[in-house]
Amino acid sequence: MGLAIAPSKSARRARWVATGLTVPSWMLLLALFAIPIGIGIWLSFRNEALNSFAEPKFVGLDNYRKMTAEPKSTELIDAGITTVIIMGLGLAIQLPVGVGLAVLLNRRLRFSRWYRSALLIPMLLTPVAVGMMWRFMLDTDTGVINWLIERFGANGPDWLGSRWGARVAVVLVDSWQSIPFVMLLVLAGLAGIPDGPDEAARVDGATGWQIFRRITTPQLRPVLYVVLMIRIIDTFKLFDTIFILTKGGPGTATQTLAMYNYSLGFVLLKTSQAAAVGTVLAIITLPVYLLWQRASRAADA
Amino acid sequence: MKRPNRRTTHHHVEGRQRTIPLLIALLSALALVAGACGNDNKDAATDGGTTAATTPKYTPPAQDSDVKELNIFLIPSPSSTSIQSFIPAFEKETGIKVNFTETPYTEAHNKQLLSYKQKAGAYDIAQFDNTYLANFGVNQVMAPLDDYLANSPAYDTTDFSQGQLEYGKYKNTTYGLTLSTEPMIQWYRTDLLADAGLEPATTWDEYLANAEALKAAGKGGNVLGFGPGVTWWWMTLVWSFGGKLYDDNLKPQVTSDAVVKATEYLKKLLEAAPDGASSLDGDTSVAKFFSTDVGQMLNYSGYYGSVKDPATNPYIDKFETARMPMGETDITHLAGWNIGIPSDSKKQDAAWKFMEFVLGKSNAVDYLKSGAAAIGRKSITSNAELITTNPYLPLLDIPAESRIERYPQLKVWPDFQKAADEAVTPMLTGDVDIKTGLADLNTKLAGILAGENE
Repeated sequence: MGLAIAPSKSARRARWVATGLTVPSWMLLLALFAIPIGIGIWLSFRNEALNSFAEPKFVGLDNYRKMTAEPKSTELIDAGITTVIIMGLGLAIQLPVGVGLAVLLNRRLRFSRWYRSALLIPMLLTPVAVGMMWRFMLDTDTGVINWLIERFGANGPDWLGSRWGARVAVVLVDSWQSIPFVMLLVLAGLAGIPDGPDEAARVDGATGWQIFRRITTPQLRPVLYVVLMIRIIDTFKLFDTIFILTKGGPGTATQTLAMYNYSLGFVLLKTSQAAAVGTVLAIITLPVYLLWQRASRAADA
Repeated sequence: MKRPNRRTTHHHVEGRQRTIPLLIALLSALALVAGACGNDNKDAATDGGTTAATTPKYTPPAQDSDVKELNIFLIPSPSSTSIQSFIPAFEKETGIKVNFTETPYTEAHNKQLLSYKQKAGAYDIAQFDNTYLANFGVNQVMAPLDDYLANSPAYDTTDFSQGQLEYGKYKNTTYGLTLSTEPMIQWYRTDLLADAGLEPATTWDEYLANAEALKAAGKGGNVLGFGPGVTWWWMTLVWSFGGKLYDDNLKPQVTSDAVVKATEYLKKLLEAAPDGASSLDGDTSVAKFFSTDVGQMLNYSGYYGSVKDPATNPYIDKFETARMPMGETDITHLAGWNIGIPSDSKKQDAAWKFMEFVLGKSNAVDYLKSGAAAIGRKSITSNAELITTNPYLPLLDIPAESRIERYPQLKVWPDFQKAADEAVTPMLTGDVDIKTGLADLNTKLAGILAGENE
């Protein structure tokens, strides 16, 4: 049973000052995030279109209803499937390779600081520059990648002109740029794992793989969840790489939900419909965001 | 003991913190749904559709009596650069200061649309793509130019063929002057064709035969935009093969035999193209043609000015141009920039004065010499001196018997093109069967074209 002690006058003043000091940050957040999001949601209930000069009106849920009717429903489902395919393929590459590299670099090999710095370079480049560079390299006719493949006596695929070639190309380029990010987070996770259990297991005769699987991985799990969630959210947003590499083609082969929404808003100029799709996308990613928050808390603990 | 208590308290507080925003969100959603249900939107054009029938007759805003400056909206291009070169002379002659802004193509029309919606009169002259002519026309965001044209000996409409004068018209009203005349033409490498013993094609059969022969000889047979924007080439072939995209009642016609044949032909051209050509768009196909061994290309004549630099084009002396091969129907696919006067401008007479100055007959030669893509005036396309440096100029003199086709003047054209772009390339690569793909496209286009008159 403790006594309830009222906060002192100076403590109350300090709290007010602290609150006052956060006001500019709140205003900034409000201006940069809350208001645009609010306007986006408001737009989704209207029939604004940049190329229309008719007086815009409030249309209730019409833009949302359109998403469930043809042809938009099929287009959205196709874009959703493409997003999931690119996400699945990407995660299948990025997580194992990123974790593998992190485990290797964590072993304090010679020059590991150099390797680490070199491996982080792709993460520092702008996606547009990366996309353009890879577009040249992936050129089926004159690109260096198919030239290398031909040196081994095989014919390189039509990377950007075929349905699956383009999808794989997007996944490879995105992976090239995001594997360092995965590696960096996992390295940070590995640094927080005590050496004791590993050493004890080694003394007991456990192999490297057994130690990794039964001791390292369980301790790394919260970090891996965080990485997984961030990469899922990143893939939902993936736009610039695809825009530069394939513009969503051939056909709609690489038209993800983000690309689809871009087309709707900035090519077809259907502002309100794009806002509605954007709102739904945000709602779809919300559970992932909540899972990410939970995983972050677990990782912190 | 402490831990569970703390967690319980924490959860309790967290739960309360969550409940309040949740309630607010719920109430907002309820309000929105209630609003939606209560809204009588029978009259609402949910696509933001425009109604030409209800648009009032155009009346220009009150004009400024003393014009001291003009504001011009330009899009980076050789035509824009050329226009800028005339500004000092115009300012000297009239005392009117001319300001200009250049906005990249990808944002240019969005920026213009936003400006016209605000009716702020921000621009007195604007460059725009012909694909926007219908939208600008139906919404009357560009001022009609016919009265100016009828009373302008300096512009001299008799120096143009009728087909070219039609280029800036939407429903018989001129909303834009021609800023460049860019028919789709045939480009070929003289050295590669000569090595293979081939002549420039005059028919589609010859063009394909040349492409296949070049491919067999280890070269690229031909290039064009097989990827993004493929619709421009596909519709050219459709017209040339005697087909059409839609009929007079706006019913799509892309399942006809002519369209199937045109699509099959395009597929064969892709097979004779360099590997990976299905990802090329208009610009990258030009880059491919001028940087690798490709024998033939179909593309707009407007690229001519930009490929004349020996520093960037290793094949500067090894290419020539010719008319597009002939199909069942003699058509010319005409493209090019337009320039007009936004209807919210309060300086329309002065704006016309500037356009007349730059694009009038007396400055036409200087306009071309300053680097612009040529305008197909008769006095230009028949100018012997200019032809020696610009041998493609006679191709802009479109024969009277050739039917001029341009981007379909539809308000829903962006939707139409996106649907066609997405459908055609997979048919060319073999991912989708041509007849099935065209049937699906026809269904999709029916929905899109139905929105034209909303």
